[in-house]
Amino acid sequence: MSHSSASASERSTLSLHKLGVFCGLAAAVWLGSAEAPTKLVNTGFSPFVISLGMVMGVFVARWTVPMLLKGTGFLFTDLRDKAHLVVWAVLAGTLWAVANTLTVFAVRNVGLAIAFPLWNTNSLVGLFWGWLLFNELRGSGVKGWLKVFGGAAAIVLGAAILTFATAHQSTNSPDKVAMGILAALGAGVLWGTMYIPYRKAYISGMNPLSFVTIFTFGELGTVFTLGAIFHGGVGNLVGELQRARPMLFWLFLGGFCWVIGDLFQQYAAKYIGIGRGIPLSNTNQLWGLAWGALVFGELSGLSPSGKILVIAGSAVMIAGAVAISMAPPPALELDNWKQAMDRECNRYGLDPQKVTAVVQGNDPLSGQPQKRRWWEVLILCSAVGVFIWLALGTKSQHIAVNTPWMLVLALATIVPLGVCGTLLWRRTRFS
Amino acid sequence: MKRSNLMAILTDVHLWVPVVVLILGTALLMSLR
Repeated sequence: MSHSSASASERSTLSLHKLGVFCGLAAAVWLGSAEAPTKLVNTGFSPFVISLGMVMGVFVARWTVPMLLKGTGFLFTDLRDKAHLVVWAVLAGTLWAVANTLTVFAVRNVGLAIAFPLWNTNSLVGLFWGWLLFNELRGSGVKGWLKVFGGAAAIVLGAAILTFATAHQSTNSPDKVAMGILAALGAGVLWGTMYIPYRKAYISGMNPLSFVTIFTFGELGTVFTLGAIFHGGVGNLVGELQRARPMLFWLFLGGFCWVIGDLFQQYAAKYIGIGRGIPLSNTNQLWGLAWGALVFGELSGLSPSGKILVIAGSAVMIAGAVAISMAPPPALELDNWKQAMDRECNRYGLDPQKVTAVVQGNDPLSGQPQKRRWWEVLILCSAVGVFIWLALGTKSQHIAVNTPWMLVLALATIVPLGVCGTLLWRRTRFS
Repeated sequence: MKRSNLMAILTDVHLWVPVVVLILGTALLMSLR
């Protein structure tokens, strides 16, 4: 018996649907918790600088975490085998950055209450592309459609209720409101379309850890370029960044949490598709709300009717997530997924047997011991050094926090990381 | 990269759908300046 097959036989037999659902839910926890450090950032900074600070933290983490988990040797081999996908990874990062910038204008023009539900439709856009381009939900029957589409729609509705209950309305002119709505819808379409490269990469057998290391170049490059354009030049942007130096640590920390959440989202997109995985991870709003309400006391002035709306919105969102969790793809739909995979193999000359194994979480490469390189220590030390340097220059923020709730939520964030990380390792060796 | 792979990329609808959406999104963003 070969080393890799022996390794595969020792693995967990957890179904890929369950694994993907766990990943989607863990993604929601970490993407929502990423908002917590950013709440410690003082207002008075441009949204572009806040966005750039966070994306810089994301860039550091997107290189360090994959390198720690798999090693640069694995990542380079994976990228070399599917070199054509580099284009899609950069494209996805660019789409993310433009969408993120659009949300800045959407919030400015119409307020979060209207903008958030509009761009949160990205999961429905992703579901549409998943169906059209990758055969997702084809052959799932009426029940499957009801559970997945109904669940995704419920999550969008729950998000709308939550945002309506907690955010303020806009008082801008009709022209500005129209442009704001357009910007929010545009962000939803861009983010929903960003999932096309995700799914393409994973049905081609690319490892999510390799994908994000390239994605981040498109992301950082575009955010930096847009920031420079909107600030009237690179010099102005850098000046703003220097002014923001005392709070950069919190943005980097938020970016780090974001990367953990994003990685789980990538694995969810890989193992249950974008139609099911993205709506699940979009329940992150619940966790952001929990941090805001329980730790930072943001909802203390909410009226009784507002509190009822928060409970109702949360319940609708949870019901949507439960519906999707209970909709594993039937055999006929899996056959259609395979056809989408075969298209990629034929088009780009990939080995169908190998890609099938990777798609099923049994990457032959992951069973082989990977040689660690000296520069990996350098990358790790640099990343840790950046965080320490930023932490040393951070000014303390005088924001009241509820410590017991902070500990509870910190625990509720770390437990899914341990559980889901272990499940991923046991079932797929992070493949 | 092989020429055949380059042609496969350039004629792939999976490339042009995101590219068109990106162009439209960037145009929208610039009109908001």
